[in-house]
Parts: sequence; C-alpha cells; structure tokens
Amino acid sequence: MRIFDPHVHMTSRTTDDYEAMAAAGVRAVVEPSFWLGQPRTSPGSFADYFDALIGWEPFRAGQFGIRHFATIALNPKEANDPRCREVLELVPRYLDKDAVVAVGEIGYDAMTPQEDHAFAAQLALAVEFDLPALVHTPHRDKVRGTQRSLDVVKESGIDPGRVVIDHLNEVTVELVRDTGCWLGFSIYPDTKMSPPRMVELLRRYGTERMLVNSAADWGRSDPLLTLRTGEAMLAAGFGQDEVDRVLWRNPAAFYGQSGRLDLSDTDAPADFAGNSIKRGGA
Amino acid sequence: MNLRFGYGTNGFANHRLGDALSVLADLGYDGVALTLDHHHLDPYAPGLARRVSGLATRLMELGLSVVIETGARYLLDPRRKHAPTLLHDEREVRLDFLLRAVSIAADLGAEAVSCWSGVRPPAVDPQLAWDRLVDGCARLTEAASKAGVPVGFEPEPGMFVQDLAGWRTLHRALGMPRAFGLTLDLGHCRCLEPEPVADCVVAAAPWLVNVQIEDMRRGVHEHLEFGEGEIEFPPVLRALADTGYRGLVGVELPRHSHAAPDVARRSLSFLRAAAGQSGGAADRAPAQGQRAPGQRRPAGAVPAPDVLRAALAAVDDGGWLDEALRRVAADPSVISRLFPAAARRCGRGEILPGWTADEAARAVLLATLPAERAVAHARELYRHGDAAEKRAVLRALPLLPIGPSAVELLHDAIRTNDTRLVAAALGPYAAHLDAAAWRQAVVKCVFMGIPLTCVDDLDHRADSELAAMLAGVADERHAAGRELPDDAAALLAHLKAEKGI
Repeated sequence: MRIFDPHVHMTSRTTDDYEAMAAAGVRAVVEPSFWLGQPRTSPGSFADYFDALIGWEPFRAGQFGIRHFATIALNPKEANDPRCREVLELVPRYLDKDAVVAVGEIGYDAMTPQEDHAFAAQLALAVEFDLPALVHTPHRDKVRGTQRSLDVVKESGIDPGRVVIDHLNEVTVELVRDTGCWLGFSIYPDTKMSPPRMVELLRRYGTERMLVNSAADWGRSDPLLTLRTGEAMLAAGFGQDEVDRVLWRNPAAFYGQSGRLDLSDTDAPADFAGNSIKRGGA
Repeated sequence: MNLRFGYGTNGFANHRLGDALSVLADLGYDGVALTLDHHHLDPYAPGLARRVSGLATRLMELGLSVVIETGARYLLDPRRKHAPTLLHDEREVRLDFLLRAVSIAADLGAEAVSCWSGVRPPAVDPQLAWDRLVDGCARLTEAASKAGVPVGFEPEPGMFVQDLAGWRTLHRALGMPRAFGLTLDLGHCRCLEPEPVADCVVAAAPWLVNVQIEDMRRGVHEHLEFGEGEIEFPPVLRALADTGYRGLVGVELPRHSHAAPDVARRSLSFLRAAAGQSGGAADRAPAQGQRAPGQRRPAGAVPAPDVLRAALAAVDDGGWLDEALRRVAADPSVISRLFPAAARRCGRGEILPGWTADEAARAVLLATLPAERAVAHARELYRHGDAAEKRAVLRALPLLPIGPSAVELLHDAIRTNDTRLVAAALGPYAAHLDAAAWRQAVVKCVFMGIPLTCVDDLDHRADSELAAMLAGVADERHAAGRELPDDAAALLAHLKAEKGI
C-alpha cells in the first residue's frame, strides 16, 4: 500500500514516527503550516517556522525516504493576534518555493473580522500564485463555520476544484459534496473521524475528491491512521485500486495542481537516493 | 579548439566491448582507449584474428579511433595484480603480451600502444629492475617501430617509473628512439609532478603519443570525475591544443564502471565546455601546481559562470534562463522571484559533474548581478531560501566579486544539521573561514558522515591541530567499539606521518 498523507504536522513528530510511517508505506506527506501549542508573538517566529517547513523538515523526511511538501499561510487562530498580522506580508515570499504546494491552512477558528480578512487575502494569494488552497474548518460552531468558509471560497473566484475543505465529518460532508471542492477527513484516535466511520462515508459518498489524512500533530494523534483506514477499507470489501485512489492518487491529483509536486522515484522502495552526499553510491 | 576526446574501456568493465563502443560513439566520443582484458578482446582466447578484424570493422563503422592500453589487472596472473611486469623474473610473459598488443594495434590501425613499468618487486634490486626495464622497452620499441605503431610509455604514481623525470631518464637510456613516446596522464601530473599541469603538457609535448585525462588531487592517486579534484581544465586543454597534439585525449576512470554511461556522458559535456571557453579562462587563470601556504587554490571544483552557462545550453527551459538573465541585468531586484523558480524551469538534472541544472542556473543568476549588489542579494536569497536555494548560494559564493564579505553565510550553514548545507559550506569559499571554524567544520563532517571529498583544499589546509581533533574522535570511537570513516582515518594517518605526531 502506498500512502500520501495530505495533512500531517511532522515538525511535532519524532524520528520513530518517520520510521513507522515509512514502514507503513507512507512515501509522501504535505505539512500545512498551522499553530503550535504555544502562541507565537512575532513575525520572526513564523519566518523561522516557515523556513523549517521548507528546509530542515524535508531533510529529516528525506532520511526516511519520505517526500515532504508544505503549505504556507497565516493560520486563522493567530490571525487574531495583532502582533502576528505582519505575517501576511511574509507569506508571498514562501509561495514561490518549490516544495510549497498550496496556501494553507486558512479558514476560520472563531469567525472574527480579523479571520475574515486573513482568509480572503490569502485566497487571493492562492489565485495570484496559481496554487491550490487548504481550508481548515473550525472545531466550534463547525456547521456554520463550514458554510461560511464555502461562501468565502465562492466569493474569492478561485476554482473550487483547487480547494480542499478539511476536517469534515458526517455532519458537514453534505455541505461540501456538491460544491466542486475536495473533501478532507482527518482520522484521529478519539475526536474528528475514526477509520470505521471513514469507511462508512466512503461507502456512502464514493472515493471521488475524497482525501484522508492523519492530521497528526503535537496533540494526541496517530500518523498511521491513514494505513489503518486503508486496512479498514480492504476489510470492508473495497478493492486495492480504490484504496490506492484514496490514499495516493487523490492527494497526488489535488496537490499536483500546484505544478510543483515532484513524486518521481517514489515508486522505488524507500531508500533515499536523492541525497548525493550519502556515503557509498556504487 | 580541436581536441579529440576518447574514453577508456576499463571504465566500462561491466559492458560487453561492442556495447561500450556503441555507447561511446552515440555520446559523441572520437575514440576509445581499449584495455586488452579477459572480457575485452582477450589476446589469449581463440579466434583472435577474426575478432580483431571484426572489431576493426566495427570501429570504422562507428568512426572511432583507438589506442591500445595494456594495464589489465589480472589478465596474465589471476592472483597478483599487474603481474608479471617487465621487472619480474617472468618478464618474458609481459613482453609476449606487449608484443601481441603491438600486433593487435597494427591490425586495428591504433594510434599508440600504451604501457608502464609496474611496481618493482621487493626481491628485485633497483639496478636489476632498471636493466630489465630498459631491455624490455628496447625490444618492445623495436617491434613497435617495425609495426608502425608508437609506444606510449606512461609514468604511473607508485610504479618504478612514476614521473616525467623517470620517463626522461628511460628515454635517454633507450637512445631516444622515435617509436618510444609518452603517454601522459594529466591527473598524475596534478598528483605528483612539481610543475603545474599545463606546464607538464608543454614540457612533454614533443613526445606525446597518448593522453589520459581525469581529475585528481595533490598527493592522492585516485582517478576522480571532473570537478571532484583540483585541476582547472580550461588552461590545461588550451595548453594541450596549443602544442598541436592531435592524438586522443582519453578519459581514464576505471573505478566508475558501475555508472559508466552516465559518467561518460557527463565527462564529455564537461570536457567540451572546458575546451570551448578555455581561451578566456586561460588568460585569467592563476598558475597551477603547488602553492605557497595560505595562497588560494585555483578551484577546479568551481566552473566559471560561462562554463556553467554553456553547459546549461543543453537544458530545455523554453528560453526561461536567457530571459531571466536579461531581466536581472536590467533590474537586479527581480532575482528574488526568479531565483526560487530556477529548479522548476531548468530542472534538477546533473549537467556537469557535481553541478545540477538548478544550482548552475542559480549560480549564473547570482553572477549576473552588478558587483555592488551581489553581497546584499546573496544574503537575502540565502536568508529566505529553501534548502536548495541556500545550497546554491553557498556554492556560488566563490564565483562572486565579493571577497570574504559573505563568510557569515558559511557560519550559518555550518550551524545547521543539514548535510547538504554543511557540505556546500566547505567548498572553495571556505578559504575565508578562520582556522578554528574550518577545523570544527571538518570534524563536523566526520561526525555527520559527509565524505571529506567535499572539503576544498583539505590536504593543503589540514594541520596538526586538526590531526589532534581527529585523533580525539578516533579515541572516542574506539572506546565505543566503532571506527572512523575510511576517509577520516586515512587523513589522520597521513597527517600523523607528515606532521610527525
């Protein structure tokens, strides 16, 4: 089983996780920029974080044969902090980078006017830089938050086929299903979605435009729940091809719209051949 | 300039001879240096005349010239490398082989037959060895003269005749016969000759019948791909062309057979680029060879921007780079958005040994900046770059007219744990690092498993303090039941011997 986790915060994970993910078949990941447990207090703190997402973290991933991509944005929660608002001026510089495959995570946390502004401004950046957009949906007041997110997406003029609405569940899936946007589902140990519930949604709504991610981060989460979902699909009677579609071809197609998703050589077994300075070579 | 490039079949040890010839002809080589070996035109196997005639036809079809090389390792003795030589008791076995090689060369219309002395066996005293060598070479030269094929005798580091001085002595001892010429390996010149490589070429010119080429480092007889050693090739090739030499210039990389087609492709594009621009570079190039302490090495590892630009011509970028260079020349500030796009536009394939298209394109973009803007932009692009952009900036620094003013970028890179950045920080620009920082960085390479070949000017700059630090690492490793990496262990042993530690 080859797995592309389209949403996982590897910065918060250990090398044990990388090792387990590689062993489970994870060959590519997208790490969206988001908030950390600790609020940041200056744009410089964001710059270092963004730099890590396009510098150190891909290097770490590469040591385990995993291709690492990122999405860059000022997240909705911290968009409310006036000390961080200048981050919006930093973002464009990062949107030029090779491994940045979308603008994100953008969207709503508490649906404030400041969030409105950051959300709309960054959707405009997605259009300007010809990149897809990753839209986070809020934990609180989720249905209204999702609806309002879809309205903002529509107003922005971005092609809905280049937008994923993430963290959906049984309650919000139908809001997004007919909008043309992609549907993201985060599989968590307790909250959000579980593998059996995800299988049920795939059975009901099909596999088209469906993205399954672990969204693993610094909280209690599990980067192998993509694999577990694939296994649950097989146990429920889905074929290998449908599993491959959900866990590989769909995320590859969605982020491939950036024109920057280089997945060459990921068909090979996970040995890191791209590093020209590794010892040996003959 | 009008040089003819060939490639040694000993660098295609994993190919059938016919396949190797096809690959080389397709790549555009003018000829081959054919090492007679058990799997490449074995002179002891049945049907030799038929095979030689078939090969002659094939070479003609492919338009390849040929020289015959006789350095096979285990052709005559399956247990002892290169044995017997003309110095051994069984020297007639070697002489018989060399005479067969002359016949084969004549039948193939080869331009030369190359050979060497071999290492003196410990049991043979130097005077006896010399007498045997002179006798063997005299008989070989007589046969070669009759066959109309010149002998190219090659000085080989570590062998009984290992340098040009030794060749001259032998040449005199033989009575300077016309058919006794010289095979000059340019890498060997860098390895051990007292004169700069280009000067060796000029001095050797009257007797040159065969030339071998590869990169090499001072004091280390290891045949390296172009760009991995210390030779600055444009002035060397210019000197060679200026002598009027018309024979083959054969790439000699016998340890690269595992990747032969790629290595051969890269080598030819490197040589063509180096030959194409050598006029201008020769004028600028400082003298080669041994340097006074503290003097900067003319960096073979850093091709000039025009060499990179020429190599990038092979990349299909839809004219993007030309346009980007034009825009940067008109308005330097636009480099901030063009620089990150270079990999998407030019690709990441290797265009010269050690240089990928994206790094080369980025280096050329930086080199286009006006001198007074170069440092500021280099700092800015590094600061905001992803790892590949940072690495490209680091590698371009020695090409920029900025002196030591960007050395803080090296300090930043060396602080990281990213092997790509640490390695790139130890290129030629690291000459601007002070000794303490440089030693720390070298030892960090050892810890991180970065091959020391990435450290520019290592042999020249390594000192007793570095030896002491490496010895400390070795002690810790031994205590843990581990060893230093081979290259670090070799460096430490070398320093201990040289510095008397």
